[in-house]
Amino acid sequence: MPGYYDIDDIIMEEEPISVVFQVGAHGVGLLDPGSETNNVENGAKVDLPFWLAHELYLRQAVSISVPACFSQKTRKEIQADAACVDLRIRCPYFYELGCKIVPLVSDKSIGSFLHYAFTGRYKEILSKSHSASVVTVPKFSTRLTKEESQLFEAARSSMLAFKKWRLGGSRLEKASILGRKRKTTIPACPSTP
Amino acid sequence: MASGSGSGSERWSEDLETEVAMAMGTTDVELLKRAWRNEKAAPEILQFEAALVLRAREQIQLLEETVEEFTENGVDDLVVSLYQMDLDRSLFLLRSYLRIRLQKIEKYMIHISKTNLWNRLSEQEQRFAKSRCTDIMEKHLEQSVLSRLPYGYQSILKQSISSEEDDMVPEPQLDTFVFCKTKHAVGAFQLDDTGDEIVDLVADDLYVLRYKSIRGLVESGRIDLV
Amino acid sequence: MYGRRASQLLRELACSETGQLTAFNSDAFDQVIKECNEHNLQLQSLIRKIEDENLDIQTTRNEDHFGAVIHHLSLIRNKRCLMAYMYNRAETIQSLRWKVGPVLPQEIQEKLNYSEEECFKNHSAAIQSYMSELDLDLTVDMVPPKDPYIRVRVLDDIGEVCLGDHSISLTKHSLHFLRRTDAEPFISQGMMEEFLE
Repeated sequence: MPGYYDIDDIIMEEEPISVVFQVGAHGVGLLDPGSETNNVENGAKVDLPFWLAHELYLRQAVSISVPACFSQKTRKEIQADAACVDLRIRCPYFYELGCKIVPLVSDKSIGSFLHYAFTGRYKEILSKSHSASVVTVPKFSTRLTKEESQLFEAARSSMLAFKKWRLGGSRLEKASILGRKRKTTIPACPSTP
Repeated sequence: MASGSGSGSERWSEDLETEVAMAMGTTDVELLKRAWRNEKAAPEILQFEAALVLRAREQIQLLEETVEEFTENGVDDLVVSLYQMDLDRSLFLLRSYLRIRLQKIEKYMIHISKTNLWNRLSEQEQRFAKSRCTDIMEKHLEQSVLSRLPYGYQSILKQSISSEEDDMVPEPQLDTFVFCKTKHAVGAFQLDDTGDEIVDLVADDLYVLRYKSIRGLVESGRIDLV
Repeated sequence: MYGRRASQLLRELACSETGQLTAFNSDAFDQVIKECNEHNLQLQSLIRKIEDENLDIQTTRNEDHFGAVIHHLSLIRNKRCLMAYMYNRAETIQSLRWKVGPVLPQEIQEKLNYSEEECFKNHSAAIQSYMSELDLDLTVDMVPPKDPYIRVRVLDDIGEVCLGDHSISLTKHSLHFLRRTDAEPFISQGMMEEFLE
């Protein structure tokens, strides 16, 4: 279970989820752009961030539909060639969101789908991370989810550390926060919709 | 506390530890290296190795005196630098060991102070955790966030007054996977509570297991983390 | 959308590289605090409405109740974002004690708010008193040692420095052969570099 202060978990919970209200709610008109009053009507279909959708679902106030990134279309693409699919554009927190959404929807096949997607892409990530050039960011890395990028970076940096160790060299370095020099890393920031 | 093997968290007595160490030809430096590796790899804070740290510091002091004496008496530079390297290595282990512990204390201070993990800290660490670290962080969060929130939402432990338990306190993730190495055969070992997963831990082998399931073995010194 | 601004505050953190700091965003921070108080006002007024209708606050599940729940959840969400923002920044700031020493350079200090500066000083002092209780400096030996002595090049005019029992003049561009533990703090502050042939 990720902690209260976990940044990735917090940002992940901002992912939009499409819900249908099973009750009405007063004084929260902001949630429904189509509403003319300050209320949300029973039966209104709106996009809520996951943190709100989840809690309202637990209180039986909304019903949740499976997010588009787990649709049949994506599944077919993953089955065709897992490594080629751009998961970041679909959802930068693909796996984490998937794990949290499973208990909330009736479609239980998401679990095995996530597993299939991850194992299918894992080998590719690992082999590319070891052969990737040090200076440039490889093209395929923009297709990775947040977790996959971290995996890729971890593998790449341990390979780098290994090479450095083998060649020998300075191990004492200036604190990185003081430096102007920036390392090339994958842009960690998920694009804001 | 969950202890799969039933051996509990009994600590070896110091005598026994030394005896075993002698028999196995392990020095205090080896033991310190082991404590350091375990501490580095374990997600939660382990028992402070008080006796070992004390002995290591005595030996370090002895080495320092020796190096100084050698330098004064003009002993061969090569010999001196060999002693110096030995000294540096022990010092690094000791410093790094203490640092890793401080970092864990900083991260999980509230959790540690509420549970029996508290007893695993040294006296100095306890002082660091309580009157310094926790108070500093609490004050900081209090004055920048909590005091500016509405009544009912000002707790550092509970998200709101309606939370039934402390749902804000960071805790170490015990079900994370760790690399570990057996010294002696442990035999058939149950990995989960239900007994569905059993693994035969043979001597001198490497495993990747959930920390939670081998926690007891780490505490009783029957398995080393790497 | 509720909680949007608060999450943007966190995206700011997530975008910066690990260990790096951005300037404390007090505008956005204050606005989220304000949002929290607005949620609370709405929440209170919905609760009052339920009470005015003589309904039981514990069991009522009408539109006002769900409106109140949403404001409550939004407040909790905003609190989590604010706390995580401060907490994760504080962790980075505290880690600077190990990397750059007890005094922060001006360019970093400008990025902190008052409470963060205070937090750094107090934390730094806490580590200091722990180390003096132990009589052991823990801020050196950050990487496993190889050679006890290293060759260094001075990058800044540091001046006369007392190392051990002798003093040494560290002028810019000069080369020295120093004890590794003596050189380490200068290197991490960028005033020296390890000189490799």
